[in-house]
Amino acid sequence: MKQFSPGAAAALLLSCVIAVGSVSFLGPCVHVDGSFGSCHWAGQAMLGIGLLLVILSVAGLLVKDGRVRAGILFAAAAAAVLGIFVPGTLINLCGMATMRCRAVMRPAMMLLCALTALSCLLSGIAAYRKAGSKT
Amino acid sequence: MILSAEQISKRYFRKSGEANHFYAVKPLSMTLNPGTVTVLCGRSGSGKTTLLHMLSGLLTPTEGKVRLGETDLYSLPDRELSKLRNASIGVVPQARSVLDTLTVRENILLASSLYGTEDRREEAQRWMETLHIDGLADSRAAELSGGELRRTAIARTLCLHPPVILADEPTGDLDDENTQLVSGCFRKAAEEGAAVLIVTHESDALNIADAAFRMDGGQLSALT
Amino acid sequence: MKRGSLAIKNLLRKPGRTAALVILTALLALSVFGGSVVVGSLRQGLNSLESRLGADIIVVPSSAQSKASFQNMLLQGTIGAFYMDGENLDRVREVEGVETAAPQVFLASLKADCCSVKIQVIGFDPETDFFVRPWIEQSHTRELGDLDVVVGCKVEAEVGEILRIYDERCKVVGRLAPTGTGLDTAVYCNLSTMKTLLAAAEEKGVSHKVSSDESDDQISAIYVKVKDGYDIDQVNSKIQGHTRKCSAVRTKSMLTDVSDSLSAISGTVATLIGAVWLLALVILVVAFVMIANERKREFAVLRLLGTSRSMLGGMVLKESALCSLAGGILGVLTASMLVFPFTTLIETSLGLPYLRPSAGTILGLALASLAATVLVGSLASSWASFRLSRVDPGTVLREGN
Repeated sequence: MKQFSPGAAAALLLSCVIAVGSVSFLGPCVHVDGSFGSCHWAGQAMLGIGLLLVILSVAGLLVKDGRVRAGILFAAAAAAVLGIFVPGTLINLCGMATMRCRAVMRPAMMLLCALTALSCLLSGIAAYRKAGSKT
Repeated sequence: MILSAEQISKRYFRKSGEANHFYAVKPLSMTLNPGTVTVLCGRSGSGKTTLLHMLSGLLTPTEGKVRLGETDLYSLPDRELSKLRNASIGVVPQARSVLDTLTVRENILLASSLYGTEDRREEAQRWMETLHIDGLADSRAAELSGGELRRTAIARTLCLHPPVILADEPTGDLDDENTQLVSGCFRKAAEEGAAVLIVTHESDALNIADAAFRMDGGQLSALT
Repeated sequence: MKRGSLAIKNLLRKPGRTAALVILTALLALSVFGGSVVVGSLRQGLNSLESRLGADIIVVPSSAQSKASFQNMLLQGTIGAFYMDGENLDRVREVEGVETAAPQVFLASLKADCCSVKIQVIGFDPETDFFVRPWIEQSHTRELGDLDVVVGCKVEAEVGEILRIYDERCKVVGRLAPTGTGLDTAVYCNLSTMKTLLAAAEEKGVSHKVSSDESDDQISAIYVKVKDGYDIDQVNSKIQGHTRKCSAVRTKSMLTDVSDSLSAISGTVATLIGAVWLLALVILVVAFVMIANERKREFAVLRLLGTSRSMLGGMVLKESALCSLAGGILGVLTASMLVFPFTTLIETSLGLPYLRPSAGTILGLALASLAATVLVGSLASSWASFRLSRVDPGTVLREGN
């Protein structure tokens, strides 16, 4: 019988915010001349990571086998940790701290990814232990 | 330890009706001796439960005294009375009295844990086995039937080996087999020195009784 | 099972009820901690501005736009580029009571390669300046050479990096400590470098109000220190009368404006916090009373088993204190996640000096918020605790039949 995983559900919600936010209200700077700074690509990378997290979170919710579910959630946690380092560390952002990419996108994405990683990690551990106790 | 009631009564005032007060329990005296089983019968509303509550230290009589040994229960401050009741007066109420948030084992150990008395886990296990609820040790109240809840409450009381046991309809939810079992437990407790009072409708309880009384309209009378 | 663990079991085995109480108390902690950090940061920013300014009077071009532009530049870091005749510097120095007068020249870059927006460049005279120089000397002790720049803390350029401003390669030789003001977004250079940049701008076809030939005679602001014993207002008036097309502004009045804005915001924050606390307190009291009604039977059983009134009351208080503590920690953590990572966003939204208090102050605020939450949460349960300790087991258990 499927066991609902609140951690995976929370991760799904956070992942959706990452994916949608990265191209909208939590997105990078918009340049009036239409050019793209490097922060634009950081935003695109976060969109990709967000979509990956959405898929993994959905899988984490639907998969019945506890160990497989745990593996999926640990992978999602790793992807979320990667997301923490994308804006500003792996991909450079604009050079002024007051610009949108640094003032909004970077802290928001780091926070959301950290919460997603924590949620996935804890629910992965819970799924693994539950699967272990049944054998 | 002797539990004795000296001319106790319970009077309530009412706002309407012929008289401005009525006696739920008319002035009476009674003694519960160690090593005896006393049965109290009577119709619903006759004052049995009110009497039991006064004897257990839960309801202050309008008149009279209740003594446990030499101690006047109602002269004690709440803290001391509560501790005395925990140690010396075991009550099995008629109503459901098992806590929902605890398991069967935890409910049985609850009374002994309030004042940090010795570890009674083995004793609790023994009573669970005696009353056939050992398979439910880790179950919560919501998972139990009425009879299982009743036996849990009885195990909780007997686990502490109190010198006085007051049980209100202890076999009400039980089938014949469990009724015999529970009656046997109370009889054994009396043989080990406890003073046992059983309030019941059932006539079977008279089989184990050393003394029997009847309550009618708040009036106590001995049954021959 | 220990008696003390009964309270914890009650909380853990009714997760829905416990979660609701924890969330309510978390709101209390979140509002007070978050609000006090924001207000504290605003006060710290104002103190920083006050200590940083140093000047008694600032002389700027007389247009209202210039005055507003200067204030915005200081507070919000908006780009300011306005100019007045350089001879006003000599006129100010001639005024009796003026101890020091230091000029500054402002320039807005079109684009620096660090940023896709304009940045503020501020040129100062190292020999006379008393505003920027002490601040720069905290991080860079050598003289600023040609095309050497020092950047404010919000400019993302490390020491040694090259900043291209109007295609001139300027070397970053220092980063300044945070001030919480708009000065954190500026780049600082000496007047010689400013002259070079102005010429470069001219070559790019970007017209400014000054030309490179006349840069010595065109300045943007003069910072004035008044001699001891002179009345600042009087000196201010004299400067006003002695200069042309200039306004002399007392820094005190500028700070008063900022202080008034800060007071307004503080008042609003305090009102909001008060409203949240009042609402949460009412809800908590009602919730505890409702929970008490629901748990009458449970407490009647405990009384039956020999729990004293004080033990019962203590158990309820312990449960509410534990809930409040958990909620308090959650609230403080949540407020921290909202306030600290988004410091820059809050600063730019408020448009006022904003400097985070020290770690010690923040820790103190967190502990105080936690303590207040636990106290209020426990108080909210006190009525319910009193009622439950007075439960009549006989009546309650009889009703339960």
